[in-house]
Parts: sequence; C-alpha cells; structure tokens
Amino acid sequence: MAFPHMTARLWWILWKDLVSECRSRRAWPAMLLLGIVVAFTFAGQMDLPPDEQKRVAGGLVWLAIFLAGMLALERSFASERENGCWQGLRLCPVSSHAIYLAKLAVNVVALAALEGVLIPLFVVLSGVPLLAHPAAMLLVAALGNVALAAAGTLLGALAAGSRNTAHLLPLLLLPMAVPAVLAAAEATRLAMDGQFGTPWWQWTELLAAFAVLFTTIGIMLFDFVIEE
Amino acid sequence: MADPAPAILVRRLSKSFGRRAVLRHIDWQVAEGQAVVVTGANGSGKTTLLACLASLLRPTSGEVFWFGHPAAGDPAARRLVGMVAHDHRLYPHLTLQENLIFAARMYGVAWPRRRAEQLLESAGLGPHAHRTPPTLSQGMRQRAAVLRALVHDPPILLLDEPFAGLDADGGEWLAGRLQELRALGRTLCLVLHDEAKARRLADAVVQLRDGRLESRGTVSGPCLAGLARAA
Repeated sequence: MAFPHMTARLWWILWKDLVSECRSRRAWPAMLLLGIVVAFTFAGQMDLPPDEQKRVAGGLVWLAIFLAGMLALERSFASERENGCWQGLRLCPVSSHAIYLAKLAVNVVALAALEGVLIPLFVVLSGVPLLAHPAAMLLVAALGNVALAAAGTLLGALAAGSRNTAHLLPLLLLPMAVPAVLAAAEATRLAMDGQFGTPWWQWTELLAAFAVLFTTIGIMLFDFVIEE
Repeated sequence: MADPAPAILVRRLSKSFGRRAVLRHIDWQVAEGQAVVVTGANGSGKTTLLACLASLLRPTSGEVFWFGHPAAGDPAARRLVGMVAHDHRLYPHLTLQENLIFAARMYGVAWPRRRAEQLLESAGLGPHAHRTPPTLSQGMRQRAAVLRALVHDPPILLLDEPFAGLDADGGEWLAGRLQELRALGRTLCLVLHDEAKARRLADAVVQLRDGRLESRGTVSGPCLAGLARAA
C-alpha cells in the first residue's frame, strides 16, 4: 500500500477511536480516575525527607502510569470486538501494520493524556521537582509512553482475541513492561536531580531501545496475533 | 483469448477447528455475475465457508482466489469483496453517516460523504443518518449493514442470512437491491434458507453437507427440492 494511503487510513482509524472514546467515555475517565487515586495514595504515603522523596518518586509515577494506563490499553481492542466491527475492519484493504500503528497511536494519545494529568499532580501533591527539567522529562515520558503502548497494543489484541484471556492483559504485560518501567523510573530520577551524564543517557537509550524493539515486535507479530 | 478468471475460485479448501473438520477439500468456482445460494443444516459450516471466502479465516489448507487474485495476498485485493455478516459491524458511538463515511475512507472511495448520503437515501435511512446504531431498530441496522458492505461497490458480495431481522418492507428492499446488483453483473454468494427468495435471487444452489459442497443444480430446475429440508 502506498505510504500516503496508509497514513490516511491510519489517521481515520485514530479519528474513529478518539471520537468513539469522547462519546462513550468508557476507558479514559476510569483510567484518569484510577491514576489520580493512585497518585493521591502514593503522595500521601511519601512522608520522607526531600532527597528520599526524589529517589522514589520516579518509580511511583511510572507505576501509577502503568497501572492506570492498563485500562486504556485493555479497552483499545475490546471495544472493536463489539458488533463484529473488528471483522469489518479486517475486511478493509488496510494492512495489519497500519491497523497496529493506528491502535498504537490511540494508546500513545491515551497515555499522554494520563501523563499530562499525573505528572503535574505528583508535583503538586508531593512537591517533588518532576518538571524541574521539562525537556528531559518530556523525552523520557514520550519514550516510556511509546514503549508501554507498543507492548500493550500487541498484548491487548492478543487478550481481546480470546474470551478466556480477555482480562489477562496485566499478567501478560507486566513481565514485558517491567524493564521499560524501570528504565523510565531511573531516567526520571536522574532528570529530577539534573544529572544528565552518562548514566542518564544510558537509561534513556535503553528506554528508546525498548520503544523501538516493542514497536518492531508489534508490527511483525500483529498479523499472527489477530488471526482468529 | 483466455477465459476470464472466475469471480470466486476455491481450490482444495479445508478448515478445521482443533480436530473438528468443518470444510473438507472443497473445489468450487463462481462465475462473474452469477448469484449462488449456499444452504445446509445448522452447524454445517456455511458461515465458516463465507468467512474463508472473505479471507477473514485462514484456511487449514487450500486457497481462495477473487478474479485470479489470492484472497490471502495483497490487502488491496479486499476491495473486490463486500460482506454482510450476522452482526452488523457498525460502531455504536458513530452515527450511521459517520459509520459509512469511515468505511468509505477505509476503502479509498473518492467522495466518502456524498457516497454515504447517496446510500442512506437509497435505503430510506436519510432521516436517520445522524442516529447511532443502538437507537435504531434491528431492521434499520440490518439495512445499514448492507449499505456498509456496498460502500465501495464491490464486484463480489458475500451475504450470510442477510434477510434476518428485516420486516416485509425491508426484505423487499433488500431483494430489489440484490436484483439490481445482479443486473449490474455483480457476483453474489448468499447463505439463505428461504426457498422463495432463493428462487427469486439465485442462479444456482449448492448445499454444504459433511464439510463438502454438493451442487443442487440451477434454480430453474428441481434443485430447490432439498432446500427447505436442508434448512
């Protein structure tokens, strides 16, 4: 398929999913609510000196993003299964790669919205300087976002494909996403301290490697995963 | 000059789910412009056959071709096929018009909005264009499902019990629409249980039994004798 045609179809799948979510409000409000509850809980429990807070804040932020983001990742294919819409989409002259990338884009937007709420909320509630270096934080958030969304999109399709595994996404995603969450947490911690030396670059490069690896695996395996 | 490729060509098609063989070594072809009714008892594999013909199910063995193009090949070849299935395949939070526009865009139709409006008017759904599927009757949804399958004007149309859920007017509308499509030379493959409709719409009837297709001849002959019994 020619690249402009694929891009156009990718955009219209993204449009369809975002319009459907805006009207149904099925996944995102629950995701944001869970994220906020987790953020309040973590922030309330962090009765630590400022230096200690900085040490653990990165991990807690990314844990909150992972837990709450799961709801959006789980819904991205479950909603498609209603009324046989998934079969209708598969019958269209669109490559499975384009469908995967479109779903990935939807999940990236969902996680970006979540991060847009949770990161400032953590700053307000706990006072940790997550946004002290906004460009670095933006880079880490973007890479972590793509890594989580890429793995979650592939496994979400797998989980939605079977009635027996419909709610197994957290179990499937957790082992795959843990290295990326750890890398994001470490890169966040170092960025808060303004330590942009070799260790920060190594964690950020590792995170980027996960984002590329998970996206590549997703593109390669998606066709097999969606086979009935 | 070589004969044109048949609209649908099936070679040694088999499909099994685990150890259960649903389709067994089916060899079959449907010529361009022909309308064929597939019949068979419940659970005989009619829906599985249609799903394989549409490339929605990967055969365990064998191949399906549309006008000589492998169904499992280039996704662009899927433009050749439209399908009406048991479920209506309409997104519940998009309006009818948006559903059709989305489908038209997926198929690369030149003027998606105009095409959607034209189709909705033709089915008497114009006044309901801005309603979502859950707010419509089952019959209206079924009409919309047919329009969705026709949005890109496919030369091959696969229909799995398309009259289900339609009232008398809806059934008449669909029968008329299918006759129009036949007159335009489109190839139709329908799963039907209704003898009168099969007589009106089809050129030939085939029956699925024990995973194999058996020809029941042409509609003008005595082929329909077993249709009601099979259903």
